[in-house]
Amino acid sequence: MADSTAHVTWSGSLLEGSGTIESVGSGVFSALPITWRARTGEEGGKTTPEELIAAAHASCFSMALSHGLAGDGTPPESLETSAIVTFVPGTGITKVALTVRGSVPGLDAAGFVAAAEAAVENCPVSKALAAVPEITVDAALA
Amino acid sequence: MPRIVREADIEWEGTTARGSGVVRATSSGAFELPSTIASRVEIHEGKTSPEELLAAAHATCFVTSLGSELARLGIPPERMHVNCTITMDEVEGQGHRIVHSAITARAVVPGADEATFAEAAAAADGGCPFSALIRGTATVTYEATLEGGS
Repeated sequence: MADSTAHVTWSGSLLEGSGTIESVGSGVFSALPITWRARTGEEGGKTTPEELIAAAHASCFSMALSHGLAGDGTPPESLETSAIVTFVPGTGITKVALTVRGSVPGLDAAGFVAAAEAAVENCPVSKALAAVPEITVDAALA
Repeated sequence: MPRIVREADIEWEGTTARGSGVVRATSSGAFELPSTIASRVEIHEGKTSPEELLAAAHATCFVTSLGSELARLGIPPERMHVNCTITMDEVEGQGHRIVHSAITARAVVPGADEATFAEAAAAADGGCPFSALIRGTATVTYEATLEGGS
Protein backbone atom coordinates (compact mmCIF):
# COMPACT_ATOMS: atom_id res chain seq x y z
CA MET A 1 0.00 0.00 0.00
CA ALA A 2 1.28 3.47 -0.80
CA ASP A 3 -0.11 6.76 0.51
CA SER A 4 0.60 10.07 -1.22
CA THR A 5 -0.16 13.40 0.37
CA ALA A 6 -0.49 16.99 -0.80
CA HIS A 7 -1.36 20.23 1.04
CA VAL A 8 -3.06 23.22 -0.54
CA THR A 9 -4.02 26.61 0.89
CA TRP A 10 -6.32 29.24 -0.60
CA SER A 11 -7.07 32.83 0.37
CA GLY A 12 -10.01 34.92 -0.77
CA SER A 13 -12.81 34.21 -3.21
CA LEU A 14 -12.72 31.80 -6.10
CA LEU A 15 -12.51 34.38 -8.85
CA GLU A 16 -10.26 36.98 -7.24
CA GLY A 17 -8.41 34.86 -4.68
CA SER A 18 -5.44 32.61 -5.16
CA GLY A 19 -3.94 29.50 -3.67
CA THR A 20 -0.75 27.55 -3.32
CA ILE A 21 0.07 23.86 -3.41
CA GLU A 22 2.18 24.27 -0.28
CA SER A 23 3.82 20.88 -0.14
CA VAL A 24 3.70 17.23 -1.18
CA GLY A 25 4.92 14.20 0.72
CA SER A 26 8.01 13.70 -1.41
CA GLY A 27 9.03 17.33 -1.09
CA VAL A 28 9.85 17.36 -4.80
CA PHE A 29 7.86 20.51 -5.31
CA SER A 30 6.44 23.20 -3.12
CA ALA A 31 4.70 26.51 -3.49
CA LEU A 32 3.05 25.93 -6.89
CA PRO A 33 0.67 28.85 -7.42
CA ILE A 34 -2.95 28.17 -8.45
CA THR A 35 -5.84 30.42 -9.48
CA TRP A 36 -9.26 29.98 -11.05
CA ARG A 37 -8.18 32.15 -13.97
CA ALA A 38 -5.33 29.73 -14.64
CA ARG A 39 -7.84 26.90 -14.63
CA THR A 40 -10.28 28.41 -17.06
CA GLY A 41 -8.44 31.02 -19.07
CA GLU A 42 -4.99 32.49 -19.23
CA GLU A 43 -2.42 30.31 -17.59
CA GLY A 44 0.34 32.65 -16.53
CA GLY A 45 2.65 29.91 -15.19
CA LYS A 46 0.14 28.62 -12.65
CA THR A 47 -0.93 25.01 -12.46
CA THR A 48 -4.44 23.52 -12.21
CA PRO A 49 -6.02 20.23 -11.10
CA GLU A 50 -6.42 19.25 -14.75
CA GLU A 51 -2.74 19.87 -15.52
CA LEU A 52 -1.76 17.78 -12.47
CA ILE A 53 -4.09 15.00 -13.67
CA ALA A 54 -2.44 15.19 -17.11
CA ALA A 55 0.97 14.85 -15.42
CA ALA A 56 -0.25 11.94 -13.27
CA HIS A 57 -1.73 10.08 -16.24
CA ALA A 58 1.29 10.62 -18.51
CA SER A 59 3.58 9.35 -15.71
CA CYS A 60 1.45 6.34 -14.86
CA PHE A 61 1.03 5.32 -18.50
CA SER A 62 4.77 5.63 -19.21
CA MET A 63 5.64 3.41 -16.26
CA ALA A 64 3.03 0.80 -17.26
CA LEU A 65 4.22 0.79 -20.88
CA SER A 66 7.87 0.52 -19.90
CA HIS A 67 6.98 -2.35 -17.56
CA GLY A 68 4.95 -4.16 -20.22
CA LEU A 69 7.66 -3.78 -22.88
CA ALA A 70 10.32 -5.14 -20.52
CA GLY A 71 8.03 -8.06 -19.65
CA ASP A 72 7.71 -8.88 -23.38
CA GLY A 73 11.52 -8.99 -23.72
CA THR A 74 11.78 -5.64 -25.56
CA PRO A 75 12.66 -3.04 -22.92
CA PRO A 76 12.44 0.54 -24.22
CA GLU A 77 15.42 2.84 -24.62
CA SER A 78 13.19 5.85 -24.09
CA LEU A 79 9.52 6.85 -24.10
CA GLU A 80 8.11 10.32 -24.52
CA THR A 81 4.46 10.71 -23.55
CA SER A 82 2.13 13.66 -23.49
CA ALA A 83 -1.35 13.75 -21.96
CA ILE A 84 -3.97 16.33 -22.87
CA VAL A 85 -6.89 16.64 -20.44
CA THR A 86 -10.07 18.38 -21.58
CA PHE A 87 -12.16 19.96 -18.83
CA VAL A 88 -15.63 21.41 -19.38
CA PRO A 89 -16.73 23.56 -16.41
CA GLY A 90 -20.04 22.27 -15.13
CA THR A 91 -19.55 18.90 -16.83
CA GLY A 92 -16.11 17.76 -15.70
CA ILE A 93 -13.24 16.03 -17.42
CA THR A 94 -14.48 14.77 -20.76
CA LYS A 95 -11.33 13.43 -22.41
CA VAL A 96 -7.72 12.39 -21.88
CA ALA A 97 -5.59 12.06 -25.03
CA LEU A 98 -2.27 10.28 -24.60
CA THR A 99 0.45 10.45 -27.26
CA VAL A 100 3.59 8.34 -26.97
CA ARG A 101 6.71 8.08 -29.09
CA GLY A 102 9.12 5.30 -28.16
CA SER A 103 12.56 3.99 -29.02
CA VAL A 104 12.24 0.25 -28.58
CA PRO A 105 14.99 -1.92 -30.11
CA GLY A 106 13.67 -5.09 -31.74
CA LEU A 107 9.97 -4.14 -31.76
CA ASP A 108 7.80 -3.34 -34.80
CA ALA A 109 5.15 -0.63 -35.01
CA ALA A 110 2.20 -3.01 -34.49
CA GLY A 111 3.84 -4.51 -31.42
CA PHE A 112 4.36 -1.05 -29.95
CA VAL A 113 0.74 -0.05 -30.54
CA ALA A 114 -0.45 -3.27 -28.86
CA ALA A 115 1.81 -2.66 -25.86
CA ALA A 116 0.56 0.94 -25.57
CA GLU A 117 -3.08 -0.17 -25.67
CA ALA A 118 -2.40 -2.73 -22.92
CA ALA A 119 -0.62 -0.07 -20.83
CA VAL A 120 -3.66 2.24 -21.03
CA GLU A 121 -5.83 -0.62 -19.78
CA ASN A 122 -3.51 -1.58 -16.94
CA CYS A 123 -2.29 1.70 -15.50
CA PRO A 124 -3.85 2.49 -12.08
CA VAL A 125 -4.54 6.12 -13.04
CA SER A 126 -6.55 4.96 -16.11
CA LYS A 127 -8.56 2.71 -13.81
CA ALA A 128 -9.15 5.56 -11.38
CA LEU A 129 -10.29 7.74 -14.30
CA ALA A 130 -12.59 5.05 -15.72
CA ALA A 131 -15.52 7.50 -15.52
CA VAL A 132 -13.88 9.77 -18.13
CA PRO A 133 -15.94 9.28 -21.32
CA GLU A 134 -12.95 9.12 -23.66
CA ILE A 135 -9.34 8.02 -23.08
CA THR A 136 -7.31 7.67 -26.28
CA VAL A 137 -3.71 6.71 -27.07
CA ASP A 138 -1.73 7.55 -30.20
CA ALA A 139 1.37 5.33 -30.21
CA ALA A 140 4.24 5.25 -32.70
CA LEU A 141 7.91 4.32 -32.74
CA ALA A 142 10.23 7.33 -32.71
CA MET B 1 -17.90 28.29 -20.90
CA PRO B 2 -15.49 26.92 -23.51
CA ARG B 3 -13.67 23.63 -23.25
CA ILE B 4 -10.42 23.87 -21.36
CA VAL B 5 -7.43 21.81 -22.38
CA ARG B 6 -4.36 21.19 -20.23
CA GLU B 7 -1.27 19.28 -21.16
CA ALA B 8 1.64 17.57 -19.43
CA ASP B 9 4.55 15.51 -20.74
CA ILE B 10 6.84 12.87 -19.35
CA GLU B 11 10.05 11.61 -20.85
CA TRP B 12 11.14 8.23 -19.54
CA GLU B 13 14.56 6.68 -20.06
CA GLY B 14 14.99 2.92 -19.73
CA THR B 15 12.86 0.31 -18.03
CA THR B 16 10.35 0.93 -15.29
CA ALA B 17 12.45 -0.80 -12.66
CA ARG B 18 15.77 0.89 -13.36
CA GLY B 19 14.86 3.90 -15.46
CA SER B 20 13.57 7.31 -14.48
CA GLY B 21 11.44 10.07 -15.88
CA VAL B 22 10.87 13.81 -15.85
CA VAL B 23 7.28 15.13 -15.71
CA ARG B 24 6.65 18.60 -17.15
CA ALA B 25 3.67 20.92 -16.94
CA THR B 26 3.50 21.73 -20.64
CA SER B 27 0.56 24.14 -20.49
CA SER B 28 1.75 26.39 -17.70
CA GLY B 29 5.42 25.57 -17.28
CA ALA B 30 4.73 25.58 -13.52
CA PHE B 31 6.75 22.44 -12.76
CA GLU B 32 9.33 19.95 -13.98
CA LEU B 33 9.66 16.97 -11.63
CA PRO B 34 11.74 13.80 -11.39
CA SER B 35 9.87 10.48 -11.07
CA THR B 36 10.87 6.82 -10.62
CA ILE B 37 9.04 3.60 -9.85
CA ALA B 38 10.86 3.41 -6.51
CA SER B 39 9.50 6.83 -5.57
CA ARG B 40 6.05 5.49 -6.41
CA VAL B 41 5.98 2.26 -4.44
CA GLU B 42 8.85 2.44 -1.97
CA ILE B 43 10.57 5.50 -0.54
CA HIS B 44 9.97 8.75 -2.43
CA GLU B 45 13.54 10.10 -2.05
CA GLY B 46 12.33 13.50 -3.16
CA LYS B 47 10.81 12.25 -6.42
CA THR B 48 7.14 12.45 -7.30
CA SER B 49 4.68 9.80 -8.51
CA PRO B 50 1.36 9.71 -10.39
CA GLU B 51 -0.49 9.25 -7.09
CA GLU B 52 1.18 12.26 -5.49
CA LEU B 53 0.20 14.36 -8.52
CA LEU B 54 -3.39 13.11 -8.15
CA ALA B 55 -3.33 14.06 -4.45
CA ALA B 56 -2.22 17.56 -5.48
CA ALA B 57 -4.96 17.66 -8.15
CA HIS B 58 -7.70 16.57 -5.73
CA ALA B 59 -6.65 19.00 -2.99
CA THR B 60 -6.58 21.82 -5.56
CA CYS B 61 -9.97 20.85 -6.99
CA PHE B 62 -11.58 20.62 -3.54
CA VAL B 63 -10.21 23.96 -2.33
CA THR B 64 -11.65 25.80 -5.33
CA SER B 65 -15.04 24.06 -4.92
CA LEU B 66 -15.19 24.87 -1.20
CA GLY B 67 -14.28 28.51 -1.84
CA SER B 68 -16.96 28.93 -4.47
CA GLU B 69 -19.65 27.25 -2.32
CA LEU B 70 -18.81 29.51 0.65
CA ALA B 71 -19.00 32.57 -1.58
CA ARG B 72 -22.34 31.37 -3.00
CA LEU B 73 -23.71 31.17 0.57
CA GLY B 74 -22.56 34.75 1.19
CA ILE B 75 -19.65 33.85 3.51
CA PRO B 76 -16.48 34.06 1.39
CA PRO B 77 -13.49 32.43 3.10
CA GLU B 78 -10.50 34.34 4.36
CA ARG B 79 -8.23 31.32 4.20
CA MET B 80 -8.58 27.58 3.56
CA HIS B 81 -6.16 24.71 4.00
CA VAL B 82 -6.82 21.36 2.33
CA ASN B 83 -4.86 18.15 2.69
CA CYS B 84 -5.40 15.13 0.42
CA THR B 85 -4.01 11.64 0.89
CA ILE B 86 -4.39 9.16 -1.98
CA THR B 87 -3.98 5.46 -1.24
CA MET B 88 -2.93 2.91 -3.86
CA ASP B 89 -3.21 -0.75 -2.91
CA GLU B 90 -2.84 -4.14 -4.52
CA VAL B 91 -6.32 -5.54 -5.03
CA GLU B 92 -6.61 -9.28 -5.57
CA GLY B 93 -7.05 -10.07 -9.25
CA GLN B 94 -6.89 -6.38 -10.26
CA GLY B 95 -3.29 -5.39 -9.63
CA HIS B 96 -2.54 -1.94 -8.24
CA ARG B 97 -5.62 0.23 -7.80
CA ILE B 98 -6.22 3.67 -6.38
CA VAL B 99 -8.62 2.74 -3.61
CA HIS B 100 -9.09 5.84 -1.48
CA SER B 101 -8.77 9.61 -1.40
CA ALA B 102 -9.07 11.33 1.99
CA ILE B 103 -9.65 15.09 2.11
CA THR B 104 -9.15 17.15 5.27
CA ALA B 105 -10.11 20.83 5.08
CA ARG B 106 -9.77 23.68 7.58
CA ALA B 107 -11.05 27.16 6.87
CA VAL B 108 -11.24 30.61 8.40
CA VAL B 109 -14.61 32.02 7.29
CA PRO B 110 -15.75 35.30 8.86
CA GLY B 111 -19.39 35.21 9.88
CA ALA B 112 -19.90 31.50 9.20
CA ASP B 113 -21.79 29.18 11.52
CA GLU B 114 -21.09 25.44 11.75
CA ALA B 115 -24.24 24.36 9.92
CA THR B 116 -23.70 26.66 6.93
CA PHE B 117 -20.05 25.67 6.75
CA ALA B 118 -21.00 21.97 6.79
CA GLU B 119 -23.49 22.65 3.99
CA ALA B 120 -20.76 24.32 1.91
CA ALA B 121 -18.33 21.44 2.53
CA ALA B 122 -20.95 18.86 1.46
CA ALA B 123 -21.69 20.88 -1.68
CA ALA B 124 -17.94 21.20 -2.40
CA ASP B 125 -17.56 17.44 -2.11
CA GLY B 126 -20.48 16.95 -4.48
CA GLY B 127 -19.32 19.64 -6.90
CA CYS B 128 -15.59 18.96 -7.24
CA PRO B 129 -15.20 17.30 -10.66
CA PHE B 130 -12.29 15.20 -9.46
CA SER B 131 -14.24 13.78 -6.49
CA ALA B 132 -17.05 12.83 -8.86
CA LEU B 133 -14.63 11.23 -11.28
CA ILE B 134 -12.79 8.91 -8.94
CA ARG B 135 -15.85 7.98 -6.88
CA GLY B 136 -16.59 5.55 -9.70
CA THR B 137 -13.70 3.33 -8.65
CA ALA B 138 -12.43 4.53 -5.26
CA THR B 139 -13.83 5.81 -1.98
CA VAL B 140 -13.65 9.54 -1.27
CA THR B 141 -13.99 10.92 2.25
CA TYR B 142 -13.82 14.47 3.54
CA GLU B 143 -13.58 16.11 6.93
CA ALA B 144 -14.07 19.87 7.17
CA THR B 145 -13.37 22.07 10.21
CA LEU B 146 -14.29 25.70 10.74
CA GLU B 147 -11.52 27.64 12.43
CA GLY B 148 -11.63 30.92 14.33
CA GLY B 149 -14.32 32.75 12.33
CA SER B 150 -15.33 36.14 13.73
